[in-house]
Amino acid sequence: MENTTNNAAYMLRVRDIHKSFQDNEVLKGISLDVCRGEVLSIIGPSGSGKSTLLRCLNRLETIDKGSIEVKGEFLVENDDSGCAAYAPTEKARALLGCMGMVFQQFNLFPHMTVLENLMEAPMQVKKQTREEIQPAAEELLRKVGLYEKRDAYPSRLSGGQQQRVAIARALAMRPDIMLFDEPTSALDPELTVEVLKTMRELAAEHMTMVVVTHEMTFARDVSNHVIFMADGVIVEQGRPSDLFGNPKEERTRMFLGNMVK
Amino acid sequence: MDKLTETVLSILAGSKVTLEIFIFTLAMSLPLGFFVALLRLSGIRPLAILMDVYIWIMRGSPLMLQLLFVYFALPMIGVRFSDIAAALLAFTLNYAAYFAEIFRAGIQSIPRGQYEAAKTLGLTYSQTMRRIILPQMIHRTLPPISNETINLVKDTSLIYILAMNDLLRVARTIVQRDFDMTAFFIAGAFYLVMTAVLTAIFKRMEAHYGKYDE
Repeated sequence: MENTTNNAAYMLRVRDIHKSFQDNEVLKGISLDVCRGEVLSIIGPSGSGKSTLLRCLNRLETIDKGSIEVKGEFLVENDDSGCAAYAPTEKARALLGCMGMVFQQFNLFPHMTVLENLMEAPMQVKKQTREEIQPAAEELLRKVGLYEKRDAYPSRLSGGQQQRVAIARALAMRPDIMLFDEPTSALDPELTVEVLKTMRELAAEHMTMVVVTHEMTFARDVSNHVIFMADGVIVEQGRPSDLFGNPKEERTRMFLGNMVK
Repeated sequence: MDKLTETVLSILAGSKVTLEIFIFTLAMSLPLGFFVALLRLSGIRPLAILMDVYIWIMRGSPLMLQLLFVYFALPMIGVRFSDIAAALLAFTLNYAAYFAEIFRAGIQSIPRGQYEAAKTLGLTYSQTMRRIILPQMIHRTLPPISNETINLVKDTSLIYILAMNDLLRVARTIVQRDFDMTAFFIAGAFYLVMTAVLTAIFKRMEAHYGKYDE
């Protein structure tokens, strides 16, 4: 029997999850743990299933088999027949509420100002009033350096600014875990810097983060743990210094070799 | 001079019928069309197919035929309407089908990422529709809705076959009685004024809903 206090230190425990799209098995049994305050980077070639894995964590995709535990409680686990069964609606909502997500394409609400983007979910979901949430929302905008843009519409912002707003919007719901799905892949190189800086600051504040990324420098310098995925399986994982400095698998060496060039 | 005033007043009375049909049809067909679009996109197959058939019939046959059907054919099986109710029923069913297609396209044009962002923030489906999808859909569908609305003003003239004294029928009666074309010009001017007002209203709405994308 596992001790519950022990489990609570794990923000996420993923066991043997499988996911297929039609006949194509994209995730072939993935297991991972994320501890409180840990930054996990997931790297790998495109088509390796890393984005799908991330999307499975917060149920943007549903898994076919396996289990996901959030803060010691099952979001989904295998039922008697060995198929994934999700927690009842209310419980699932509460667990999913622990996670915030940042997308490759930002996905800001274009018809709302920057400040409205931040306040929408707290007002609708947590039923907070404008007066309650506005100071906190403005504080988050200061934190990502965009307070002066609070009344601008997203279309007026650069990609980097939009992504920082998207990060602030997710933080406005006070998540325990932040998921990042290739947050800088849609950005020009000079704009990725400001987004990575915001993410580094978050990591320094001990936010628990799972980051799917092509930014090897970020993965090496910021994360505590790195997973290299290919063809739906975890090929290799470990501390960044080991995985980048001394990769054991040929597949990892090839990938890292190509990335550095 | 007196005669001109009399002509204008008669046509004005006819405009009242035209406007009644127009306003009530719009007020009923817009919500109905939106509802049909939701059913069409509901993912419930029998409902979606039913809505497809409805839209196909309404768009695929002449509005004139639909008017005649409601007015003449339905009473034969015992369903009887007053003139105005028959006209409103036919117009509403017809326009709702067009609006449904416009709304469907509008809803489908909103990127998936908007739904996903809303979902990861914890918004429910109905909150997502109401707060995120609909405002963007309205903005995107205003130009085609504006088109259809202007068409509706002109289509109201079809009710002359139901012997209702709308703007155009009044004008035609005067022309035939007096052998004087003036009434046609006045009627034309009335239509142009109505559509000009509508155009202005829609322009303002587009500016209001479009203030975010420049």
